Amino acid sequence: MLKPFEKIVFIKDTNAVKADLTRHYAGIFSKYVRPLIEDRKVFVVQAADLGIYGEGLVIKIWPNNIYYANVKEEDIAEIVERSIVGDEVVDRLAFSPDAKQVRVVLRNCGVIDPEEIDEYLARDGYAAVEKVLSSMSPEDVIEELKKSGLRGRGGGGFPTWMKWNFARNVQSDQKYIICNADEGDPGAYMDRSVLEGDPHSVIEGMIVGGYAIGASKGYFYIRAEYPLAIERVQRAIDQAYEYGLLGEDILGSGFSFDLEIRLGAGAFVCGEETALIASIEGKRGTPRPRPPYPSIKGLWGKPTVINNVETLANVPVILSRGGDWFSTIGTETSKGTKVFALTGKVRNSGLIEVPMGTTLREIVMKVGGGVVGGKKIKAVQTGGPSGGVIPENLLDTPVDYENLRRLGSIMGSGGMIVMNEEDCMVDIAKFYLKFCVDESCGKCAPCRIGGYQLLGLLEKITMGEGEEEDLEKISLICQAMQKASLCGLGQTAPNPVISTMRYFREEYEEHVKEKMCRSGKCKRLIRYEIIQEKCVRCGMCYINCPVEAITGSKAKGFVIQQDKCVKCGKCYEVCKFGAILIGSKEPVEHRI
Amino acid sequence: MARMKLEDLRRKREELKARSKETNYIKVGMSTCGLAAGAQETYDIFKEEIERLGLDIKLKKCGCLGMCFAEPLVEVALEGLPTVIYGKVDVATAHRIVDEHICSKRIVNDHVYELHIKE
Ligand SMILES: Cc1cc2nc3c(=O)[nH]c(=O)nc-3n(C[C@H](O)[C@H](O)[C@H](O)COP(=O)(O)O)c2cc1C
Repeated sequence: MLKPFEKIVFIKDTNAVKADLTRHYAGIFSKYVRPLIEDRKVFVVQAADLGIYGEGLVIKIWPNNIYYANVKEEDIAEIVERSIVGDEVVDRLAFSPDAKQVRVVLRNCGVIDPEEIDEYLARDGYAAVEKVLSSMSPEDVIEELKKSGLRGRGGGGFPTWMKWNFARNVQSDQKYIICNADEGDPGAYMDRSVLEGDPHSVIEGMIVGGYAIGASKGYFYIRAEYPLAIERVQRAIDQAYEYGLLGEDILGSGFSFDLEIRLGAGAFVCGEETALIASIEGKRGTPRPRPPYPSIKGLWGKPTVINNVETLANVPVILSRGGDWFSTIGTETSKGTKVFALTGKVRNSGLIEVPMGTTLREIVMKVGGGVVGGKKIKAVQTGGPSGGVIPENLLDTPVDYENLRRLGSIMGSGGMIVMNEEDCMVDIAKFYLKFCVDESCGKCAPCRIGGYQLLGLLEKITMGEGEEEDLEKISLICQAMQKASLCGLGQTAPNPVISTMRYFREEYEEHVKEKMCRSGKCKRLIRYEIIQEKCVRCGMCYINCPVEAITGSKAKGFVIQQDKCVKCGKCYEVCKFGAILIGSKEPVEHRI
Repeated sequence: MARMKLEDLRRKREELKARSKETNYIKVGMSTCGLAAGAQETYDIFKEEIERLGLDIKLKKCGCLGMCFAEPLVEVALEGLPTVIYGKVDVATAHRIVDEHICSKRIVNDHVYELHIKE
């Protein structure tokens, strides 16, 4: 049997954006320790990502778990001498990685096999059901949730205990609890990941909820586009039945609870609770006016609690570890953690979970590793099509329900999209609005007609035909939709427009008055030009132009034929000399 | 497994906890994000290699580890070595993990990803 190495050194250049010097530094390090490597005393690894960013050369030494940051070449000899040959720490370089992520909801995701109930049990799974059924009254459960401060993660942030309490207090022969797994925001996949990675935690949350409100039946409403989530949830339900955790007389407690899956066809509006209920009832998925709220009159007219996947996944931990413990995480008004799907122009896109109160900048820079290609961050979008953008100068805001709302966005279900200089804010607003217009159910006029008209105006502006009155009209339609739409879809659809207008009005004005798009996104508003003074006539643009819109030769130089150009930006991308200019629609002055 | 009573559940959980201290395993992230990046192929390679070489290591599946930018993600735990998460584990990298990490006890270059999480 091969002898394992005594020490392992992980090396990473954490300043690497374009040029990564990890290999170079690892080479230097290895030179110093060559004899030790041969004796299998130490092994040097080039890491891909140590979860630390912008701290220069980082070195981690196992098994001591010493981290060094901002190490210079001349420090390496000392590190080898003291920490590799010896077992000391070089204090002046020592670094402790700052863990920004806290995993409550994702406690088992990526840890257990989601298809094995035994692995969930071994991680204290169903301990909350056990505790609740053996020693707590429904009122105790609601009290514990109240202490925890848990608020709905589906977007609105309504206190979960209050919703449960409403339903609990209604007298009825039948009540229901529904898990909303419709997750329709573009770019969001938190709920899918929880269902796929830890389905039992959500089932456990539903059993506890059912017990608290007095429901004997629950439904998962999952969109059909999530086949793997559906498969894993079904498997988990079957296993829970087999173990006696669902069905008649759960664990011999006398409490009975059944659980079933209902599939959604993927309409965004069916995530809205009243439309969701209609959909489960087999009717067309359109919303109805509230009140009455579902907790009073919901599925088949019975009191119904609808909770989001992430809300429910929090419930077992709260009951096992206590509401007081939970309420130590987060801010004054927003307790616990929030899972985000971090995407867009961020280096490390993925699923993250941070305590409420973490700032947006920490999320992007420390967890996400910064912006791709080292470009400047422009804004962060939260809340999907119902949310808004938060500009760079406000990124130090701690994330919670109130702060995001104050800034004109919302927490939403957890999509978080990072935008940089290459993103056009008018185009972004148009993208989200287009989504809502496509997804509008058409039942109420403000959403159906308002959305369509609003989109028309944005299209006009991005096509270079905008007039100054259009900006005024946009504001008016936005207000009308917010005030008069029947459900959250129409009420919040203008949010991306309003918030981009609030923070990036100058971009709208540029589009309208100067017919220009600074990011180069709105194709009708831009024009690519070759700056002849910078051009070295290498011919790269000529070779790469997909529509042969660049003519000329290495001898004579090259010109872009505007009538043929499709504004794909390929020439701009391949030019190594910065000789391609993105200009406004009007021809640029300094041409030869 | 028959339907359990409270005491059965408690007993079962304790038994499972005692058994769950596995030291040698390869765990592949097999949620949609992983599968879309090729986690099934990666999993299959490990399965074949473990059988072919008769390795004493358990192959497991898990959900999303969070670092979707580096899928497929694979966690490897082996006695005498730190437990590491490898990212971008395509078929070739899976073979390298078997040859270098499992068989030669050397961590593979350029694929280690570290995640800092507070409990
Ligand atoms: C258009 C629209 C779409 C929605 N989509 C979802 C969704 O996909 N998932 C979700 O949990 N809530 C969604 N909601 C919010 C739900 O109506 C409801 O408030 C939520 O499921 C309540 O759960 P919570 O209290 O646990 O947050 C949506 C609301 C609207 C107006």
